[in-house]
Amino acid sequence: MMEVIGSIVVLLGAGFHFSAGLGMLRMPDAYTRMQAGTKASTLGNTLVLAGLAFYHPGWGLKLLIIVYFVLITNPISSHALARAAYSIRIPLAGNTGIDALRDEQQNLRSKT
Amino acid sequence: MISSIVLTTGLLLILIGFWGMLMHRNILRIIIGFSLMSTGTHIVTVAIGYVKNGTAPIIDRVLNMSEAPSRAVDPIPSALVVTAIVIGMAVTAIMLAYTIRLYDSKKTLSIDAFTESKW
Amino acid sequence: MTRRVFAVVAIVLFGFVFATLATSYTEQHSLRRLAESYVQLVPQKLGAPNVITGILLTYRAFDTLGEVAVLFMVGAGVVLVLNVDRWPHAAAHSSEEPRPSSEIVQSGAQFLSPLIAIFAAYIIMNGHLSAGGGFQGGAVIASCVLLVLLVYPHYQLNIEFLTITESVAGVLFVLTGIAGVIVAGGFLDNRILPLGQFGAFFSAGGIPVLSILLGIKVGCELSVILDGFRPGPVGQKDKV
Repeated sequence: MMEVIGSIVVLLGAGFHFSAGLGMLRMPDAYTRMQAGTKASTLGNTLVLAGLAFYHPGWGLKLLIIVYFVLITNPISSHALARAAYSIRIPLAGNTGIDALRDEQQNLRSKT
Repeated sequence: MISSIVLTTGLLLILIGFWGMLMHRNILRIIIGFSLMSTGTHIVTVAIGYVKNGTAPIIDRVLNMSEAPSRAVDPIPSALVVTAIVIGMAVTAIMLAYTIRLYDSKKTLSIDAFTESKW
Repeated sequence: MTRRVFAVVAIVLFGFVFATLATSYTEQHSLRRLAESYVQLVPQKLGAPNVITGILLTYRAFDTLGEVAVLFMVGAGVVLVLNVDRWPHAAAHSSEEPRPSSEIVQSGAQFLSPLIAIFAAYIIMNGHLSAGGGFQGGAVIASCVLLVLLVYPHYQLNIEFLTITESVAGVLFVLTGIAGVIVAGGFLDNRILPLGQFGAFFSAGGIPVLSILLGIKVGCELSVILDGFRPGPVGQKDKV
């Protein structure tokens, strides 16, 4: 019974990983591609490890620590990459509505 | 069966890396092809050492000392690959340093610009 | 055009050779004689549960010494190639300060780099008990240094200290080997220290000592190589 639940959760995680790959192929510009890759694959990682915890309940604490480290490092690295891409002026997609970072930098410059 | 799959994957990686090295004109992509080739070679070397139904050659709760010679995987290719990985990384570092100097001299990363040593 | 034809012919020929290799490969059912003798001898005579580290640091320790020499040559070569006459070109067309990293990245790096260092020390010290060893731990130390270098662009590594440390570690490695000649069976034999209890933390003779020295040397080496790739501050960069 626990194995069936664990297998379903791992399958869900694999589905999220697939959607991450699909998003990286289909998204219009670099920033949306980064967002698709990071968010979906982090959740996919978490679900796969949680499904593994159903198979081996004794490994639960170690898997929780691994999930914790994945949750810390993935968003930070994606944030650094996106900021670097913005600062070398990689163009945004054509139908972008709001550029919050440009507005904030203009606010900072007009205040000082 | 398992090691045949791993062996085929390693040989495919060597072929892909070789193709990349021959076809691309950008120096950085040639370096990536070289790195792929060395990774493929490491995978092939480790795959050759597999013993049927074997486990890692580390003596702990799973594998005790008396049954180790009959159930352990071959440790020698793994030891050679540990050395080879470090040396591969060192060679990649030297290649990247040369790339930086080549770019400084001709301001381009295409290997067609460097024809002085062709005959 | 001819280049592409040559490339395709070469790939196809290699593909034939590899296909012959892949189809005529059969898995072995038992270990070969040399491997079997290693798997028997390392736990009994050297007292190390990890057979691969026992091979790398005692039976084939001379290859490890050669690899240490190769790493040293590469470190010196990278610094030599990247240091000569380059900074006048760089100062001419890079006239802006490196962009400081944002607060999220700085907080993350402050949290993560001690953990990475502890993990590296754990890998080095457990080389003889479980999977790990000197090279792997040294690479993880270098990745911790790389994280700090990426997040704080103005951080100046103390290159003199690193080069002196790695040279001292290399010299101590060779001296341990010579001590093996004097006290125990041969060069880089690990019976210079007592073998201890099997599987304990301080066991397997000289193997933890060699692992620590290897880890320090590889870590310092890779840090010097990484620092050589950084662009200097605007105008000049003084390296010894």
